[in-house]
Amino acid sequence: MLVFRPARQSDLPAIERLASESPVGVTSLPVDQDTLASKVQASIDSIAADVSYYGEESYFFVLEDKIADTLVGVSGIVASAGFNEPFYSYRNETLIHAAPGLGIHSKIHALSLCHDLTGNTLLTSFYVQPSLRFTRGSDLLSRARLMFIAQWPERFADGVVSEMLGSTRADGSSPFWDSVGRIFFGIDYQDAEYYCGVKGRKFIAEMMPQHPLYVPLLSDEAQAVMGEVGPDSAVPFDVLTREGFETENYIDIFDGGPTLHAATRGIRTIAQSCLAKVMEGSVGGAAWLVSTTRLDDFRATVAEADVTDHGIALAPAVREALGLAVGDVVRVSPL
Amino acid sequence: MILVRSIRHDDLSALMQLAASVGVGVTTLPANEERLSRRIAASVAAQSAPADAAPETADSSFVFAMEDTNTGKVVGICGIEGAVGLNEPWYNYRTGVSVRASTEIGVYRKLDTLFLCNDLTGSAELCSLFLHPEWRRDNNGSLLSKSRFLFMAEFPARFNPRVIAELRGVSDEQGASPFWESLGRHFFKMDFSQADYLTGIGQKSFIAELMPQHPVYTTFLSEAARAVIGEVHDGTRPARSMLEAEGFRYNGYVDIFDAGPTVECALPDIRAVRASRTFTATSTEATTGSNWMVSNRRLNDFRVCLTQTEPSHNGLPLSHAVIEKLAIQPGDSVRAVPLSARS
Repeated sequence: MLVFRPARQSDLPAIERLASESPVGVTSLPVDQDTLASKVQASIDSIAADVSYYGEESYFFVLEDKIADTLVGVSGIVASAGFNEPFYSYRNETLIHAAPGLGIHSKIHALSLCHDLTGNTLLTSFYVQPSLRFTRGSDLLSRARLMFIAQWPERFADGVVSEMLGSTRADGSSPFWDSVGRIFFGIDYQDAEYYCGVKGRKFIAEMMPQHPLYVPLLSDEAQAVMGEVGPDSAVPFDVLTREGFETENYIDIFDGGPTLHAATRGIRTIAQSCLAKVMEGSVGGAAWLVSTTRLDDFRATVAEADVTDHGIALAPAVREALGLAVGDVVRVSPL
Repeated sequence: MILVRSIRHDDLSALMQLAASVGVGVTTLPANEERLSRRIAASVAAQSAPADAAPETADSSFVFAMEDTNTGKVVGICGIEGAVGLNEPWYNYRTGVSVRASTEIGVYRKLDTLFLCNDLTGSAELCSLFLHPEWRRDNNGSLLSKSRFLFMAEFPARFNPRVIAELRGVSDEQGASPFWESLGRHFFKMDFSQADYLTGIGQKSFIAELMPQHPVYTTFLSEAARAVIGEVHDGTRPARSMLEAEGFRYNGYVDIFDAGPTVECALPDIRAVRASRTFTATSTEATTGSNWMVSNRRLNDFRVCLTQTEPSHNGLPLSHAVIEKLAIQPGDSVRAVPLSARS
C-alpha cells in the first residue's frame, strides 16, 4: 500500500537517493544534502506554524511504500511563489505589427521576463520512481497535495501554478537554453539548474535579459520547444491537465517548458472533495483519494471503498495505514 | 561648365527625366512626379523665407540642381533638410552594450544591442544626393555634395547645428540586405528593395512603426547581419571617406532597415564651412591654381562653380565665364573654399 505523508528528517537518506535519480530540471530537488535537509525542516516548521495568512511556508511530502518499507516519490507545495526569492517566468506576449495601407498584418511574439505568477501557490519538486509512472501511485503523489490544499485553503492562494520541464536533447542539454539562456548566462544548462537549486535565484536577476526577446529571432530549434512538455514532466502534465490546469502564456526561463495554471477552487480534486465519516468496511468499490484531516498527522492514500451519505467504508488495512479509527472524519475525492 | 544652383519650378521635367534615365532602385531620386514636385515647391518656399529664420519655424528643405551649362541639362541633385523629424518621427537604431554579470557564479557577459530611438530628431540632414553615372568624373561628385557646405556657411541660422548624413548600408547585387533579411523581414513580409522604395517616397516612419519597438540583442541576428552594422555599401565608400575628411564621424547610429551608418558633425566644425571665407571677386581672362568652390552668397538663386584659382591680395580672381555663371559682377562678394582639405 502506498501512503502519502509530510517528510521527516529521518527520510533524508531516501530523499537524497530520489533526488539523485530525478532529472536535471527539477531545480527544487538538487542533490545537495544541506538544501534537502532545510527543505524538510521548512516543511516541518510550516506545518507546525499557526498560519493566519499564507506566505513563506513550504510543504514537502513523500510517497511511502508500506510493504517494501521504502520511499518511492516526493512532491512539494510552495504556499506563495516568489515570497522569499523572485519567481521568474517568460511571458509570451503577442504584438501586432499592422499597416493596413501596406497590406501588412503581422503577429509577433516576444518573451518578457516577468514576475506575474508571484503569489500563486506552486506545485513543485515532483518526482516518482519510474515503475510508478502513470499509475495510481503517481496520481496519489501529485493529487494528495490538492487534498491538503482543500483541507486548509487559508494556507494557500486562489491560484495554483506548476512548472513543467521542457524538451531536452538525449544528452540532457536544452535547445531553448542554448539559444536563449546561454547567451546571457554563458554557462551550461545543467550548471544553471544546479546553481538555481543551491545558490538561490539572485544571479538570475543579475544575468537575465532586461529587454523582451523577439521570438522570430530565436533559433528554429528553440522556437519549436517553447511551451513543449518534456518526457520527464509527462506524468505531472497528464495529472494536472486532467485536474483542469491549463497552459497560459508563461514558460520557464531555463528550458522553455510551460507553466500550468488553475484557479484553486476549480481544480477537480478540490472541487469534488468532501468530508466523510469513517465506517467499517472491506476492500471493494470505486477508487477514492482518502486523506486525514489532521494537520499534525496528514496522510493520504488511494482506497477502493463504498461512499454513502453515511460515510466511507474503509478496510482495516487502510484505516491502519492512515492511522484512523471508525468515526474519524476524512476528506475524500473520486480518483 | 558645371554649375550647382537652387532648384526651380521648371526643373521638374528635367528631374523626372534624370530619375527615369537611371531606372528603378535609386532611392535618393525616386521617379515620382508628385513627390519631386512637392520637394521643388518646398525648396522654393524655403528660399523666400528670411535668412535668419530657424528651421523649426520656417521651411528649410533645400534642393539644388547640378546643371551642365553647355546643354542646360540637369545631371544631378542634392538637398539639405534644416531639421528632420519635426513632422513625423525620425528613427535610428543606436548601437549599445548591455553587460550582465554575477560575482556569485563568476560570469560576465557583454552583449551588443540595438535601441530604436529618435535621438537625431531636429538635426539638419544632408540628403537626396544623386549624380547621373555619366557625370561621375572631374570632381563633379565632390562639388555636388560639398557645395551644400557653402550654403550652410552662408545661412547657418537656417540649419540645426547638428548635421547628419545617412549612408547606404550593405546590400547585394539583387538588392537584398543581410541586415534586413535577419531583422526587418521577420516583422513584415516585404523585400528590402520595396521597403527601400517606400523610404524614398517618404513612407519611412510609416514602416518604422512596424519595426521592433523593444531593443534587439544583436546576438540573435545572423552573422552576416551583425557584420554589416555600421558598414556602408561598396559604392558609398567614397562618399563616406569624403564626409569623414570634412569632419563627419560615425557615432553608433545606424539605419533601421539596412544598418548603414549615420555620420554627423557640428555645422561650424565642417571643414568646408570652417575654412570658407568671403572674397571680392576680381575678373581676369583665365585663372590657374588649385580647385576652389565659389558661391554667389544668395539665398534665392544660390550658385556654386568649381574653378582653378588662388586668392590674391585684392580678392579672388575669377574668369569671365565663372562670373557670368555665378550671375555676379566683378567687385561683388563671393564665398569660397578649397574643394578639399590641403594635405
